[in-house]
Amino acid sequence: MVEVELRGVWKRFGDFVAVKNVNLRFPDGKFSSILGPSGSGKTTLLYLIAGIYKPSRGEILFDGEDVSQLPPNKRNVGLVFQNYALYPHMTVYENIAFPLTIKGLPRGEIEERVHSVARMLHIDELLDRYPHQISGGQQQRVALARALVKEPALLLLDEPLSNLDALVRLEIRGELKRLQRRLGITTIYVTHDQSEALAMADLIAVIHRGEIQQVGSPEDVYRRPRNLFVAGFIGMPPANLVKATVTRAPAPCVVIAGGGEYCPGEPLASKLEALGLEAVVVAFRPEDVVLGEHPMEDYVSLEAEVYVVETLGRENLVTLRLPDGQAVKAITSPLLNPRPGDKMYVNVEPSKILLYDPETELNIEAIEAAPAARPVSLAEASERRRAAQEED
Amino acid sequence: MPRPRLPAPALFLSLAAFLVLVFYIVPLILTLWASLTPVRNWNVAQLRQFVGAENYKRLFHLIRFDPDVSTVVKTTIVFVAGTLAVNVLGGLLLALAAFIIEERASLGFRLLWFLPRMTPVAVFGLLWYYFFYPQGTLNAILLRLHLISHPVNWGQDVLPWGPWSIIIFVNGLVGVSYGMIIFYSAFKAIPKDIYRAALVDGARLRDLVFRIMLPLTRWHLIFVTVWQLLSLLTTYAHLFVLVEWGVVEKWHGMTWALYVFETAFGSAVNDQALASAAATLLVVVGIGLGLLTLRLMGFERELGAVRGEL
Ligand SMILES: Nc1ncnc2c1ncn2[C@@H]1O[C@H](COP(=O)(O)OP(=O)(O)OP(=O)(O)O)[C@@H](O)[C@H]1O
Ligand SMILES: [Mg+2]
Repeated sequence: MVEVELRGVWKRFGDFVAVKNVNLRFPDGKFSSILGPSGSGKTTLLYLIAGIYKPSRGEILFDGEDVSQLPPNKRNVGLVFQNYALYPHMTVYENIAFPLTIKGLPRGEIEERVHSVARMLHIDELLDRYPHQISGGQQQRVALARALVKEPALLLLDEPLSNLDALVRLEIRGELKRLQRRLGITTIYVTHDQSEALAMADLIAVIHRGEIQQVGSPEDVYRRPRNLFVAGFIGMPPANLVKATVTRAPAPCVVIAGGGEYCPGEPLASKLEALGLEAVVVAFRPEDVVLGEHPMEDYVSLEAEVYVVETLGRENLVTLRLPDGQAVKAITSPLLNPRPGDKMYVNVEPSKILLYDPETELNIEAIEAAPAARPVSLAEASERRRAAQEED
Repeated sequence: MPRPRLPAPALFLSLAAFLVLVFYIVPLILTLWASLTPVRNWNVAQLRQFVGAENYKRLFHLIRFDPDVSTVVKTTIVFVAGTLAVNVLGGLLLALAAFIIEERASLGFRLLWFLPRMTPVAVFGLLWYYFFYPQGTLNAILLRLHLISHPVNWGQDVLPWGPWSIIIFVNGLVGVSYGMIIFYSAFKAIPKDIYRAALVDGARLRDLVFRIMLPLTRWHLIFVTVWQLLSLLTTYAHLFVLVEWGVVEKWHGMTWALYVFETAFGSAVNDQALASAAATLLVVVGIGLGLLTLRLMGFERELGAVRGEL
């Protein structure tokens, strides 16, 4: 279909920078997702790709061809709006037929294509109704049908499921993914719901305050968050972020409140050494915690006090406090039902622990490696950190 | 014992009812009453005598046999139809232009069209007096362009379309901002995403206007048309000035409303009885035309099938 690339794209509204230096490539025929919290610039980014907005700087390429100045009707994109934007004065049939009608296609062909797409999306019963006479889920399908009927090379979806209830959402989520597979349309799916992005996308771009935070597969984004924002945004609940200090006798080790000590292996150890950090942020996922009454062998164990226990049905979510007051969440089996005030051990496998530089907020693993063998002077270390910051 | 107090809503309602009574119902009844009496020259005592439909008979006789009065009827029809078209279509075009041009320029553009409405009638009339009178600006321009060889008295000599064009032009200029402002705000009220969706769907400007904007602002179109129709039937301030200063020939610049005014207060004989009959006829015709327009434009359909709110 089409490959979409953004090169150094900026979008300003007056003084406000809504999209900041975005470089992204959405592969041909793949299902990509733009994931970010409310107000992060997702819709703006999508409108830039659709041609509704022109970039303030940078260029947008479709299959290597610069389309930055092309109006939306020349880009062959289908767009499903956040609020569906169905035409209220047209029936469902007329809504879906609209892109074909204004193209002046013969009536018979229009009818055929509208019916075929309506059948595919199970809305062929609704064709005579007006948008206000159908449910939110049905409106969503009509909007999708209208986007698909012109057989676009690129399908853009702006939080299409956000107005639907949880069950319908799950159902349409699966359908949408199957449909995309079958049609092979390059699809960009905007959402603030990380579970949607993780479940559906081949590629996720996390955006925050108009800046791309990380691009990668769902696995990448989930297992190796590139910075503290991504670590704190992805996951239900997101990763635990705990401040810790670094000791250096003889090898660099991270000392966490509650008696935990984590001495990373190579290459992390030398990176830690090279950066010369005094403090780090330790990240681990609540679902990676093994909660027990005793510290566990080969695990990093933190002594903590149970604060709240929430029963989620399939599992329990336990919030604990480390001796220095920092909170840690753990997901446990519903059989384990500690009481508030109990002393317990938060055990985490070392391989599940990630370290972040508290200043640049970057994953230390992701920071460019420094030559390991030689001890690094303090001045050199801070120089490197500045370089890393600038690069970010 | 405390006196019982009227609740606030009742107070407001009774005030509104009082105003309607004083400014609408009472004058209407008085007019109807006067049309059934022989009252002339403010001889109020005659208001107690009744002559039945005498004034109406006189009126219809005049319409049929007095060429001046039948000219007034023709002028009224041409004036109302022509100015209505200018006001509605012109208002639509101006609203579209204001909507399409850049936001900041748009405000100035819209204010500009309000000038004729905000300018005092006499000043505005004077302006067009200097423009149209034989030694005026229009003839100067046409002479300079060699389109005419000697000054033409457009409003007096070029009958009937000279004066008709002038009154339609002047009143069109005054009235066009009304439709513009209503259509403009109606276009603005359509959610931006609807326009964007249409653009993404491949719509050109023509499709946007005819398939999205106009159908979605139907109600406003009906409202402006009927409202302007009724205002044009009853307006006479600018016409009065144009006729009084001789910019246009008297009978071709006089609509029914001005005729009512002239008959009641203007001519040598102030025939209030005949004027009242003429005014009553105007009210009846106005109501009839208003209802007819609503029906023609499908107002009931609009009310019947409640469409989703935007
Ligand atoms: N036309 C505009 N003029 C000025 N600011 C705008 C405009 N459009 C968006 N913004 C601002 O840009 C930022 C990003 O907006 P955008 O609509 O892209 O967010 P979003 O990620 O889609 O949020 P949501 O999840 O709530 O839809 C917001 O702070 C918003 O206020
Ligand atoms: Mg949005």
